[in-house]
Amino acid sequence: MVTFLTLLLGLVAESDFKKVPTSSLVGENQFCRASSVPYYGFSLITTKNVPGTGQGSGKVELTFIEDSPFGVSVTDDGSYQYGLNISLDKINIRGRGELVAWVTTRDLSEIHRLGTFGENQTIQGSVDWNKFLVVITLEPDPGELTQKWRGPVVLRGMSRSGMMHTMVGHGVLQEENCFAYGYGG
Amino acid sequence: MIFRKKILLYTLISSVAVIPVSAQHTMHQMVSDGAWRMVPMDMNMPMLPGLEGVVPVVSPFLPGSDIDVSSIPAAISSEIVRLAEGDTLELTVSMVRRNVANREVVMFGYNGQYPGPLIEVMKGSTATIRVKNEIQMPTTIHWHGVRLENQFDGVPGITQKSIATGEHFLYEVKVPDAGMYWYHPHVREDVQQDLGLYGNLLVRSPDSAYYGPVHREEMLIVDDLLMDDEGILPWGSEAPTHALMGRFGNVMLVNGQTEHALTVSSGEVIRFFITNVANSRTFNITFGANRTKLVASDVSRYQREQWISSVVIAPGERYVVDVQFESSGQTIIANTIQAVNHFRGEFYPHVDTLSQISVSDGREKNDLDGEFELLRENIEVISEIEQFETYFNQVPDYELETTVRVRNLPISIVISMESDTLYVPPMEWNDAMPMMNWLSTGEQVTWILREKYSGLENGDIQWEFDQGDVVKIRIFNSPDSFHPMNHPIHLHGQRFLVLNRDGNLNQNLVWKDTAILPVGSTMDLLVEMSNPGEWMFHCHISEHLQAGMSFNFTVREF
Repeated sequence: MVTFLTLLLGLVAESDFKKVPTSSLVGENQFCRASSVPYYGFSLITTKNVPGTGQGSGKVELTFIEDSPFGVSVTDDGSYQYGLNISLDKINIRGRGELVAWVTTRDLSEIHRLGTFGENQTIQGSVDWNKFLVVITLEPDPGELTQKWRGPVVLRGMSRSGMMHTMVGHGVLQEENCFAYGYGG
Repeated sequence: MIFRKKILLYTLISSVAVIPVSAQHTMHQMVSDGAWRMVPMDMNMPMLPGLEGVVPVVSPFLPGSDIDVSSIPAAISSEIVRLAEGDTLELTVSMVRRNVANREVVMFGYNGQYPGPLIEVMKGSTATIRVKNEIQMPTTIHWHGVRLENQFDGVPGITQKSIATGEHFLYEVKVPDAGMYWYHPHVREDVQQDLGLYGNLLVRSPDSAYYGPVHREEMLIVDDLLMDDEGILPWGSEAPTHALMGRFGNVMLVNGQTEHALTVSSGEVIRFFITNVANSRTFNITFGANRTKLVASDVSRYQREQWISSVVIAPGERYVVDVQFESSGQTIIANTIQAVNHFRGEFYPHVDTLSQISVSDGREKNDLDGEFELLRENIEVISEIEQFETYFNQVPDYELETTVRVRNLPISIVISMESDTLYVPPMEWNDAMPMMNWLSTGEQVTWILREKYSGLENGDIQWEFDQGDVVKIRIFNSPDSFHPMNHPIHLHGQRFLVLNRDGNLNQNLVWKDTAILPVGSTMDLLVEMSNPGEWMFHCHISEHLQAGMSFNFTVREF
């Protein structure tokens, strides 16, 4: 989590608010809202970095995509295919831009833009990574199709699969030598 | 509880390659004295503190351990048996000697074959099969998916007495629906089915255009077997081992072979009838870059054919796909998954080669490109299902949830499991905890189907219907348990539609008899209670079934 926050804050520090030309929302994912699997949903937590969002929150509901003829939706490499229903609450940005949703790999090596929130502060999208982050940013010019966000991060959250972590060095394996298993150093 | 030396917590990979025993346990200071042998593991794993060499609380079982292996006849490959109305097939259940992954092992076979004979019959006919049991265990044959007469369903204690050693049973299998079915024992499936007792039953439609045109048909029975360099790992005698996750194998089998291969021509369209007979493993089957068309599943064709990138097939399920091999060269049919490494807390890509495909340069002369491009709408299926649409929005008649109860597991395992289940994946594609799984037996683990409102569990559930009832059953796979896991839900003797999952309406329906239920998911089944008798409702992971996850329901003749 520390690494995650550091990366996010680093990107915030590098971002700027310069306006650039806009284009169509290539890659925008549209997804019909459907019931979720609550167990795999997760919360979005405010960074408190943007005025009017300190009391804000959000949630991400996951579904398996609907057009799979099987009981579970996976890609041909075996990754799960999830539909995302994202909703925000108590976010007031007072006309300073638009809120944009992004989904990223945990190391931020790949970032996909899901789209801009409408008035009802909900958005739908999809993802085919097993572990991922959802990031909500405030973009002064949301029409610009940037590869990654430029505005400040308002909220962020990690897929429940992020709770699956190495067992070395804590819990029942706290006495194990982390170095022996490729950790540390 | 027998104590030995240190024991491991987890392993990483269920590998295609058989790991030598010497390489499996040297660092772990495990000893293979006695009849139990420790399950294959990855060596790059820490010991679980506080446990010293535990083995399962049941005694080990291997067939033929007291017999000179050379005296057992070598198995032969599966043969095709076409049965016309009035024909009788003599089917003998016996021990066979096989070479699997360069190990000579004793297994079971139907008529000495692996898999059992491919029985081919016409829709509407009755296949008569006289079964003789020559193994040292009682057995039966269940005709999976067939809406047959109840007395021939093969469930001991319900539809028949099990067939004792040396005895016979005569099955009359009337087949009302075209498609691919399969047969297997319903006595200790975790052992007998894993030992090779399975075969396909192909029911042909009299309509020559029932499926679209292809150049040829191939059967793919996918399975896995748990082996080390001494052979097959023993099963539990009094109750199954691997009761938590089911017994995953580390050697992949297609039609009983470890090195399945096909040679095809460029442009050739092949229809694959796929059956998953594994105890627990769900496969994600890919066909390289070759276009794949989904045609049918358990009991019918789909409403509409569709393109797919892979076939997700759980134990007990069948799928029919047409694949066109376009480019010459080598390609593979594979099980392509994102496996879980619990120890490192990671998903990692894993590929098991199931079949090597050589695509020759020579172009297939009989060009089916146009027909293959066509995605057919099956009007008969659509029309038939339309008759059930009035039931689609009815409230569920029954609601079930799945859960598990454990007792007397080693405390270190309990602590580890409870701390490691902050996240449970929707599907267990691999056995990411082979030691803990191995040590969990049917005497310590109870898998449960629980009626939501009555609280009744498993065998206490009493459902009665009249023939012709159409019943909606909602099943929720609760994530709030000691070890949630996906379950392939199977109903005997009836067919059903998976109407929706997690509230999402299924847009392309097909008649099923088995359907996968991932962790945390809810599915609504619309069951046509068309076939009178007393039938089973159970999870088709063999170890979950043996650990209690079943009940019976009655359909009264109307």
